[in-house]
Amino acid sequence: MAQLYERYSGIVYSVALRVLGDTGAAEDILQEIFMQLWRNPDGFDVSRGSLPGWLAVIARNRAIDSFRKRRPEVEMTEVVVGIGPDMVRGIEWNRTLDKIRGVLGSIPAPQRSALELSFFEGLTHTEIAEKTGEPLGTVKTRIRAGLLALRKAFNQ
Amino acid sequence: MNGHEQFADDLALYAMGTLEGDERLRVEGHLQECPACRVELEKFRGDVALLAFSASGPRPPARSRERLLAAIAKEPRRIETRASRPMAWWRAFEWAGAVAVVVMVLLLVRQNNDLQRRVADLQSSSARQQQQLLQAKQLVGTLTSADAEHYVLVAGKSPPQPQGRAIYVPSSGTLVFLASNLPQLPPQRIYELWLIPTKGTPIPAGLFRPNPQGSAAVVKPPLPAGIEAKTFAITVEPEAGSAAPTSQPIMVGSRG
Repeated sequence: MAQLYERYSGIVYSVALRVLGDTGAAEDILQEIFMQLWRNPDGFDVSRGSLPGWLAVIARNRAIDSFRKRRPEVEMTEVVVGIGPDMVRGIEWNRTLDKIRGVLGSIPAPQRSALELSFFEGLTHTEIAEKTGEPLGTVKTRIRAGLLALRKAFNQ
Repeated sequence: MNGHEQFADDLALYAMGTLEGDERLRVEGHLQECPACRVELEKFRGDVALLAFSASGPRPPARSRERLLAAIAKEPRRIETRASRPMAWWRAFEWAGAVAVVVMVLLLVRQNNDLQRRVADLQSSSARQQQQLLQAKQLVGTLTSADAEHYVLVAGKSPPQPQGRAIYVPSSGTLVFLASNLPQLPPQRIYELWLIPTKGTPIPAGLFRPNPQGSAAVVKPPLPAGIEAKTFAITVEPEAGSAAPTSQPIMVGSRG
Protein backbone atom coordinates (compact mmCIF):
# COMPACT_ATOMS: atom_id res chain seq x y z
CA MET A 1 0.00 0.00 0.00
CA ALA A 2 2.89 2.32 0.84
CA GLN A 3 4.27 1.83 -2.68
CA LEU A 4 0.91 2.46 -4.29
CA TYR A 5 0.61 5.58 -2.17
CA GLU A 6 4.06 6.84 -3.17
CA ARG A 7 3.22 6.35 -6.80
CA TYR A 8 -0.33 7.56 -7.11
CA SER A 9 -1.12 9.83 -4.15
CA GLY A 10 0.07 12.86 -6.15
CA ILE A 11 -2.47 12.51 -8.93
CA VAL A 12 -5.34 11.75 -6.53
CA TYR A 13 -4.48 14.70 -4.30
CA SER A 14 -3.91 17.07 -7.25
CA VAL A 15 -7.26 16.33 -8.85
CA ALA A 16 -9.14 16.63 -5.53
CA LEU A 17 -7.33 19.89 -4.76
CA ARG A 18 -8.15 21.28 -8.20
CA VAL A 19 -11.86 20.51 -7.71
CA LEU A 20 -12.15 21.57 -4.07
CA GLY A 21 -9.49 24.29 -3.78
CA ASP A 22 -8.93 23.29 -0.17
CA THR A 23 -5.93 21.29 1.00
CA GLY A 24 -7.68 19.79 4.04
CA ALA A 25 -10.66 18.63 1.99
CA ALA A 26 -8.33 17.24 -0.69
CA GLU A 27 -6.45 15.27 1.99
CA ASP A 28 -9.77 13.80 3.16
CA ILE A 29 -10.53 12.60 -0.38
CA LEU A 30 -7.02 11.14 -0.65
CA GLN A 31 -7.51 9.28 2.62
CA GLU A 32 -10.97 8.02 1.63
CA ILE A 33 -9.84 6.66 -1.73
CA PHE A 34 -6.76 4.86 -0.44
CA MET A 35 -8.69 3.39 2.48
CA GLN A 36 -11.23 2.01 0.01
CA LEU A 37 -8.39 0.60 -2.04
CA TRP A 38 -7.00 -0.97 1.13
CA ARG A 39 -10.33 -2.49 2.10
CA ASN A 40 -11.10 -3.72 -1.39
CA PRO A 41 -7.86 -4.27 -3.34
CA ASP A 42 -9.83 -6.13 -6.02
CA GLY A 43 -11.91 -3.02 -6.72
CA PHE A 44 -9.64 -2.10 -9.59
CA ASP A 45 -9.80 -4.32 -12.65
CA VAL A 46 -7.24 -3.71 -15.40
CA SER A 47 -10.04 -3.96 -17.99
CA ARG A 48 -11.37 -0.70 -16.54
CA GLY A 49 -8.33 1.21 -17.84
CA SER A 50 -5.03 2.39 -16.45
CA LEU A 51 -4.73 2.56 -12.65
CA PRO A 52 -3.65 6.24 -12.51
CA GLY A 53 -6.47 7.22 -14.90
CA TRP A 54 -8.96 5.27 -12.83
CA LEU A 55 -7.77 6.87 -9.59
CA ALA A 56 -7.80 10.35 -11.13
CA VAL A 57 -11.39 10.01 -12.34
CA ILE A 58 -12.50 8.58 -8.98
CA ALA A 59 -10.79 11.46 -7.18
CA ARG A 60 -12.68 13.92 -9.35
CA ASN A 61 -16.03 12.16 -8.78
CA ARG A 62 -15.51 11.96 -5.01
CA ALA A 63 -14.35 15.58 -4.81
CA ILE A 64 -17.40 16.84 -6.70
CA ASP A 65 -19.69 14.74 -4.48
CA SER A 66 -17.94 16.19 -1.44
CA PHE A 67 -18.22 19.73 -2.82
CA ARG A 68 -21.93 19.28 -3.36
CA LYS A 69 -22.31 17.60 0.04
CA ARG A 70 -23.93 14.55 -1.40
CA ARG A 71 -23.40 10.84 -1.05
CA PRO A 72 -21.16 9.20 -3.68
CA GLU A 73 -23.22 8.71 -6.83
CA VAL A 74 -20.96 6.18 -8.50
CA GLU A 75 -19.27 3.28 -6.73
CA MET A 76 -15.50 3.03 -7.22
CA THR A 77 -15.86 -0.36 -8.85
CA GLU A 78 -18.26 1.05 -11.45
CA VAL A 79 -15.86 3.68 -12.75
CA VAL A 80 -14.40 2.91 -16.16
CA VAL A 81 -11.70 4.86 -17.96
CA GLY A 82 -10.37 4.20 -21.42
CA ILE A 83 -7.38 1.95 -21.72
CA GLY A 84 -4.23 4.01 -22.02
CA PRO A 85 -0.54 3.70 -21.27
CA ASP A 86 0.59 3.50 -17.67
CA MET A 87 1.61 7.14 -17.49
CA VAL A 88 3.52 7.22 -14.27
CA ARG A 89 7.12 6.61 -15.13
CA GLY A 90 9.45 9.58 -14.81
CA ILE A 91 10.30 11.15 -18.12
CA GLU A 92 7.37 9.55 -19.91
CA TRP A 93 5.00 10.97 -17.34
CA ASN A 94 6.49 14.47 -17.65
CA ARG A 95 6.24 14.30 -21.43
CA THR A 96 2.63 13.20 -21.16
CA LEU A 97 1.81 16.07 -18.85
CA ASP A 98 3.54 18.58 -21.12
CA LYS A 99 1.59 17.23 -24.06
CA ILE A 100 -1.77 17.42 -22.25
CA ARG A 101 -1.10 20.94 -21.06
CA GLY A 102 0.14 21.89 -24.52
CA VAL A 103 -3.15 20.75 -26.07
CA LEU A 104 -5.23 22.54 -23.43
CA GLY A 105 -3.15 25.68 -23.98
CA SER A 106 -3.60 25.55 -27.73
CA ILE A 107 -7.37 25.03 -28.00
CA PRO A 108 -9.65 28.08 -28.02
CA ALA A 109 -10.27 29.54 -24.55
CA PRO A 110 -14.07 28.97 -24.60
CA GLN A 111 -13.47 25.31 -25.47
CA ARG A 112 -10.97 24.89 -22.64
CA SER A 113 -13.30 26.67 -20.23
CA ALA A 114 -16.24 24.41 -21.16
CA LEU A 115 -14.04 21.34 -20.61
CA GLU A 116 -12.82 22.52 -17.22
CA LEU A 117 -16.25 23.62 -15.99
CA SER A 118 -17.64 20.24 -16.98
CA PHE A 119 -14.86 18.10 -15.54
CA PHE A 120 -13.40 19.98 -12.59
CA GLU A 121 -16.62 21.64 -11.45
CA GLY A 122 -18.95 18.84 -12.53
CA LEU A 123 -21.36 21.28 -14.20
CA THR A 124 -23.89 19.94 -16.69
CA HIS A 125 -24.00 21.48 -20.15
CA THR A 126 -27.22 23.26 -19.09
CA GLU A 127 -25.46 24.82 -16.09
CA ILE A 128 -22.49 25.84 -18.25
CA ALA A 129 -24.82 27.42 -20.81
CA GLU A 130 -26.57 29.38 -18.06
CA LYS A 131 -23.25 30.49 -16.60
CA THR A 132 -21.65 31.54 -19.89
CA GLY A 133 -24.73 32.64 -21.82
CA GLU A 134 -23.78 30.33 -24.69
CA PRO A 135 -26.34 28.14 -26.53
CA LEU A 136 -26.63 24.57 -25.22
CA GLY A 137 -25.54 23.03 -28.52
CA THR A 138 -22.43 25.19 -28.60
CA VAL A 139 -21.42 24.08 -25.11
CA LYS A 140 -21.93 20.41 -25.98
CA THR A 141 -19.91 20.72 -29.17
CA ARG A 142 -17.07 22.54 -27.39
CA ILE A 143 -16.75 19.81 -24.77
CA ARG A 144 -16.63 17.10 -27.40
CA ALA A 145 -14.19 19.05 -29.57
CA GLY A 146 -11.90 19.59 -26.56
CA LEU A 147 -11.80 15.87 -25.75
CA LEU A 148 -11.17 15.03 -29.40
CA ALA A 149 -8.24 17.48 -29.46
CA LEU A 150 -6.65 15.59 -26.54
CA ARG A 151 -7.24 12.27 -28.27
CA LYS A 152 -5.75 13.50 -31.52
CA ALA A 153 -2.54 14.61 -29.79
CA PHE A 154 -2.02 11.11 -28.36
CA ASN A 155 -2.97 9.24 -31.53
CA GLN A 156 -0.37 10.97 -33.66
CA MET B 1 -29.36 7.61 -40.89
CA ASN B 2 -27.74 5.43 -38.31
CA GLY B 3 -28.26 7.84 -35.41
CA HIS B 4 -24.58 8.10 -34.40
CA GLU B 5 -24.26 11.82 -35.15
CA GLN B 6 -27.14 12.83 -32.92
CA PHE B 7 -25.41 11.09 -30.01
CA ALA B 8 -21.88 12.29 -30.80
CA ASP B 9 -21.88 15.28 -28.40
CA ASP B 10 -23.90 13.46 -25.74
CA LEU B 11 -21.40 10.60 -25.63
CA ALA B 12 -18.69 13.06 -24.60
CA LEU B 13 -20.92 14.44 -21.82
CA TYR B 14 -21.82 10.89 -20.75
CA ALA B 15 -18.12 10.06 -20.45
CA MET B 16 -17.68 13.20 -18.31
CA GLY B 17 -20.47 11.94 -16.03
CA THR B 18 -22.47 15.15 -16.45
CA LEU B 19 -25.31 13.97 -18.66
CA GLU B 20 -28.55 13.73 -16.71
CA GLY B 21 -32.24 12.90 -16.99
CA ASP B 22 -33.84 11.89 -20.28
CA GLU B 23 -30.71 12.66 -22.29
CA ARG B 24 -28.74 10.19 -20.18
CA LEU B 25 -31.43 7.51 -20.57
CA ARG B 26 -31.52 8.04 -24.34
CA VAL B 27 -27.75 7.63 -24.62
CA GLU B 28 -27.81 4.50 -22.45
CA GLY B 29 -30.59 3.05 -24.61
CA HIS B 30 -28.62 3.77 -27.77
CA LEU B 31 -25.43 2.29 -26.30
CA GLN B 32 -27.25 -0.98 -25.67
CA GLU B 33 -27.76 -1.44 -29.37
CA CYS B 34 -24.83 0.39 -30.97
CA PRO B 35 -21.39 -1.25 -30.85
CA ALA B 36 -19.77 1.68 -32.68
CA CYS B 37 -20.93 4.14 -30.02
CA ARG B 38 -19.72 1.83 -27.25
CA VAL B 39 -16.27 1.94 -28.82
CA GLU B 40 -16.47 5.72 -29.12
CA LEU B 41 -17.52 6.00 -25.46
CA GLU B 42 -14.47 4.02 -24.39
CA LYS B 43 -12.28 6.42 -26.36
CA PHE B 44 -13.95 9.43 -24.72
CA ARG B 45 -13.32 7.87 -21.30
CA GLY B 46 -9.63 7.66 -22.16
CA ASP B 47 -9.75 11.34 -23.19
CA VAL B 48 -11.39 12.22 -19.86
CA ALA B 49 -8.56 10.49 -17.97
CA LEU B 50 -6.05 12.61 -19.92
CA LEU B 51 -8.00 15.70 -18.92
CA ALA B 52 -7.85 14.60 -15.27
CA PHE B 53 -4.06 14.29 -15.51
CA SER B 54 -3.85 17.98 -16.43
CA ALA B 55 -4.41 18.78 -12.73
CA SER B 56 -1.30 16.85 -11.74
CA GLY B 57 1.31 18.78 -9.79
CA PRO B 58 0.93 19.39 -6.07
CA ARG B 59 2.08 16.58 -3.75
CA PRO B 60 0.11 15.80 -0.61
CA PRO B 61 1.74 16.85 2.67
CA ALA B 62 3.72 14.21 4.58
CA ARG B 63 1.07 14.11 7.30
CA SER B 64 -1.38 12.55 4.81
CA ARG B 65 0.83 9.49 4.51
CA GLU B 66 1.13 9.12 8.28
CA ARG B 67 -2.61 9.54 8.64
CA LEU B 68 -3.31 6.83 6.06
CA LEU B 69 -0.86 4.36 7.59
CA ALA B 70 -2.30 5.02 11.06
CA ALA B 71 -5.84 4.42 9.75
CA ILE B 72 -4.77 1.20 8.06
CA ALA B 73 -3.19 -0.02 11.29
CA LYS B 74 -6.48 0.65 13.09
CA GLU B 75 -8.65 -1.29 10.65
CA PRO B 76 -10.61 -3.75 12.74
CA ARG B 77 -9.25 -7.27 12.64
CA ARG B 78 -10.88 -10.29 14.20
CA ILE B 79 -8.49 -11.36 16.94
CA GLU B 80 -9.75 -14.35 18.89
CA THR B 81 -8.72 -14.28 22.55
CA ARG B 82 -9.59 -16.95 25.07
CA ALA B 83 -11.50 -15.73 28.10
CA SER B 84 -9.33 -16.08 31.17
CA ARG B 85 -10.51 -17.58 34.43
CA PRO B 86 -11.56 -15.26 37.21
CA MET B 87 -8.63 -14.63 39.51
CA ALA B 88 -7.76 -12.67 42.56
CA TRP B 89 -7.59 -8.96 41.95
CA TRP B 90 -3.88 -8.67 42.79
CA ARG B 91 -2.98 -11.49 40.39
CA ALA B 92 -5.19 -10.03 37.68
CA PHE B 93 -3.33 -6.80 38.10
CA GLU B 94 0.00 -8.55 37.65
CA TRP B 95 -1.07 -10.38 34.57
CA ALA B 96 -2.97 -7.58 32.90
CA GLY B 97 0.16 -5.76 31.82
CA ALA B 98 1.77 -8.90 30.41
CA VAL B 99 -1.37 -9.94 28.52
CA ALA B 100 -1.75 -6.46 27.08
CA VAL B 101 1.83 -6.54 25.81
CA VAL B 102 1.40 -10.00 24.25
CA VAL B 103 -1.89 -9.03 22.58
CA MET B 104 -0.33 -5.84 21.29
CA VAL B 105 2.65 -7.73 19.86
CA LEU B 106 0.35 -10.31 18.25
CA LEU B 107 -1.79 -7.56 16.75
CA LEU B 108 1.21 -5.76 15.33
CA VAL B 109 2.72 -8.96 13.90
CA ARG B 110 -0.57 -9.94 12.35
CA GLN B 111 -1.21 -6.52 10.90
CA ASN B 112 2.29 -6.40 9.54
CA ASN B 113 1.85 -9.80 7.89
CA ASP B 114 -1.50 -8.73 6.46
CA LEU B 115 0.02 -5.53 5.11
CA GLN B 116 2.88 -7.39 3.45
CA ARG B 117 0.56 -10.01 2.00
CA ARG B 118 -1.80 -7.41 0.58
CA VAL B 119 1.00 -5.42 -0.99
CA ALA B 120 2.49 -8.59 -2.47
CA ASP B 121 -0.93 -9.68 -3.80
CA LEU B 122 -1.56 -6.28 -5.34
CA GLN B 123 1.88 -6.12 -6.94
CA SER B 124 1.65 -9.65 -8.26
CA SER B 125 -1.85 -9.17 -9.63
CA SER B 126 -0.98 -5.82 -11.18
CA ALA B 127 2.19 -7.19 -12.82
CA ARG B 128 0.33 -10.21 -14.21
CA GLN B 129 -2.49 -8.10 -15.60
CA GLN B 130 -0.07 -5.60 -17.10
CA GLN B 131 1.81 -8.44 -18.79
CA GLN B 132 -1.38 -9.92 -20.21
CA LEU B 133 -2.48 -6.50 -21.39
CA LEU B 134 0.90 -5.89 -23.02
CA GLN B 135 0.74 -9.21 -24.87
CA ALA B 136 -2.81 -8.51 -26.00
CA LYS B 137 -1.82 -5.03 -27.20
CA GLN B 138 1.16 -6.44 -29.10
CA LEU B 139 -1.07 -9.01 -30.77
CA VAL B 140 -3.69 -6.45 -31.74
CA GLY B 141 -0.94 -4.05 -32.82
CA THR B 142 0.55 -6.69 -35.11
CA LEU B 143 -2.79 -7.48 -36.68
CA THR B 144 -3.86 -3.88 -37.19
CA SER B 145 -0.54 -2.15 -37.89
CA ALA B 146 -0.42 -0.13 -41.10
CA ASP B 147 3.12 -1.47 -41.57
CA ALA B 148 2.11 -5.11 -41.22
CA GLU B 149 3.10 -7.14 -44.27
CA HIS B 150 0.51 -9.69 -45.32
CA TYR B 151 1.47 -12.68 -47.41
CA VAL B 152 -1.10 -14.78 -49.22
CA LEU B 153 -0.02 -18.30 -49.97
CA VAL B 154 -1.61 -19.87 -53.04
CA ALA B 155 -1.09 -23.17 -54.81
CA GLY B 156 0.77 -23.17 -58.12
CA LYS B 157 0.59 -19.98 -60.16
CA SER B 158 -2.98 -18.93 -59.35
CA PRO B 159 -3.23 -15.12 -59.19
CA PRO B 160 -4.22 -13.89 -55.67
CA GLN B 161 -7.96 -13.38 -55.28
CA PRO B 162 -9.81 -11.18 -52.78
CA GLN B 163 -10.05 -13.26 -49.68
CA GLY B 164 -11.32 -12.93 -46.11
CA ARG B 165 -10.95 -15.19 -43.11
CA ALA B 166 -13.06 -14.81 -39.97
CA ILE B 167 -12.24 -16.63 -36.73
CA TYR B 168 -15.18 -16.44 -34.35
CA VAL B 169 -15.84 -17.71 -30.81
CA PRO B 170 -19.64 -17.49 -30.30
CA SER B 171 -19.62 -18.02 -26.51
CA SER B 172 -17.57 -14.86 -25.91
CA GLY B 173 -18.52 -12.92 -29.06
CA THR B 174 -14.83 -12.67 -29.99
CA LEU B 175 -14.02 -12.17 -33.66
CA VAL B 176 -10.79 -11.78 -35.61
CA PHE B 177 -11.12 -11.05 -39.32
CA LEU B 178 -8.28 -10.80 -41.85
CA ALA B 179 -8.68 -9.87 -45.50
CA SER B 180 -6.32 -9.65 -48.45
CA ASN B 181 -6.29 -8.50 -52.07
CA LEU B 182 -9.34 -6.29 -51.61
CA PRO B 183 -9.89 -3.56 -54.21
CA GLN B 184 -9.56 0.05 -52.97
CA LEU B 185 -12.75 2.07 -52.43
CA PRO B 186 -13.54 5.76 -53.06
CA PRO B 187 -13.13 7.91 -49.89
CA GLN B 188 -16.87 8.13 -49.20
CA ARG B 189 -17.30 4.34 -49.17
CA ILE B 190 -16.10 1.73 -46.67
CA TYR B 191 -16.18 -2.03 -46.24
CA GLU B 192 -18.48 -3.31 -43.51
CA LEU B 193 -18.27 -6.80 -42.04
CA TRP B 194 -21.51 -8.50 -41.00
CA LEU B 195 -22.22 -11.41 -38.70
CA ILE B 196 -25.16 -13.28 -40.27
CA PRO B 197 -26.83 -15.06 -37.35
CA THR B 198 -28.78 -18.29 -37.71
CA LYS B 199 -31.80 -16.31 -36.53
CA GLY B 200 -32.46 -12.62 -37.01
CA THR B 201 -30.98 -9.79 -39.03
CA PRO B 202 -27.30 -9.20 -39.88
CA ILE B 203 -25.25 -7.69 -37.03
CA PRO B 204 -22.59 -5.03 -37.83
CA ALA B 205 -19.16 -6.48 -37.01
CA GLY B 206 -16.81 -3.65 -37.93
CA LEU B 207 -15.80 -1.15 -40.60
CA PHE B 208 -12.48 -1.32 -42.40
CA ARG B 209 -10.43 0.03 -45.29
CA PRO B 210 -7.69 -2.06 -46.83
CA ASN B 211 -4.11 -0.77 -46.85
CA PRO B 212 -2.51 0.06 -50.21
CA GLN B 213 -1.67 -3.64 -50.67
CA GLY B 214 -5.34 -4.55 -50.20
CA SER B 215 -4.98 -6.08 -46.71
CA ALA B 216 -7.15 -5.33 -43.69
CA ALA B 217 -7.89 -6.64 -40.21
CA VAL B 218 -10.79 -6.29 -37.79
CA VAL B 219 -9.88 -7.43 -34.29
CA LYS B 220 -12.43 -8.04 -31.57
CA PRO B 221 -15.21 -5.69 -32.68
CA PRO B 222 -17.92 -5.17 -30.02
CA LEU B 223 -20.33 -8.07 -30.51
CA PRO B 224 -22.86 -9.57 -28.12
CA ALA B 225 -21.80 -12.95 -26.70
CA GLY B 226 -23.68 -16.15 -27.48
CA ILE B 227 -24.80 -15.35 -31.04
CA GLU B 228 -24.64 -18.40 -33.28
CA ALA B 229 -23.27 -17.40 -36.68
CA LYS B 230 -24.60 -18.82 -39.91
CA THR B 231 -21.84 -17.05 -41.82
CA PHE B 232 -20.07 -13.70 -42.29
CA ALA B 233 -20.41 -11.29 -45.20
CA ILE B 234 -18.87 -8.04 -46.46
CA THR B 235 -20.75 -5.17 -48.10
CA VAL B 236 -19.66 -1.75 -49.32
CA GLU B 237 -21.36 1.00 -47.28
CA PRO B 238 -21.30 4.80 -46.84
CA GLU B 239 -18.19 5.87 -44.92
CA ALA B 240 -19.98 6.14 -41.53
CA GLY B 241 -21.13 2.53 -41.82
CA SER B 242 -24.71 1.24 -41.75
CA ALA B 243 -26.88 -0.38 -39.13
CA ALA B 244 -28.19 -2.80 -41.79
CA PRO B 245 -26.65 -3.75 -45.16
CA THR B 246 -27.59 -1.33 -47.95
CA SER B 247 -25.94 -3.24 -50.78
CA GLN B 248 -25.46 -6.79 -51.96
CA PRO B 249 -22.56 -8.64 -50.27
CA ILE B 250 -19.36 -8.69 -52.27
CA MET B 251 -18.03 -11.61 -50.22
CA VAL B 252 -19.86 -14.25 -48.22
CA GLY B 253 -18.22 -16.83 -46.02
CA SER B 254 -18.47 -20.55 -45.86
CA ARG B 255 -17.56 -22.45 -42.73
CA GLY B 256 -14.14 -24.09 -43.02
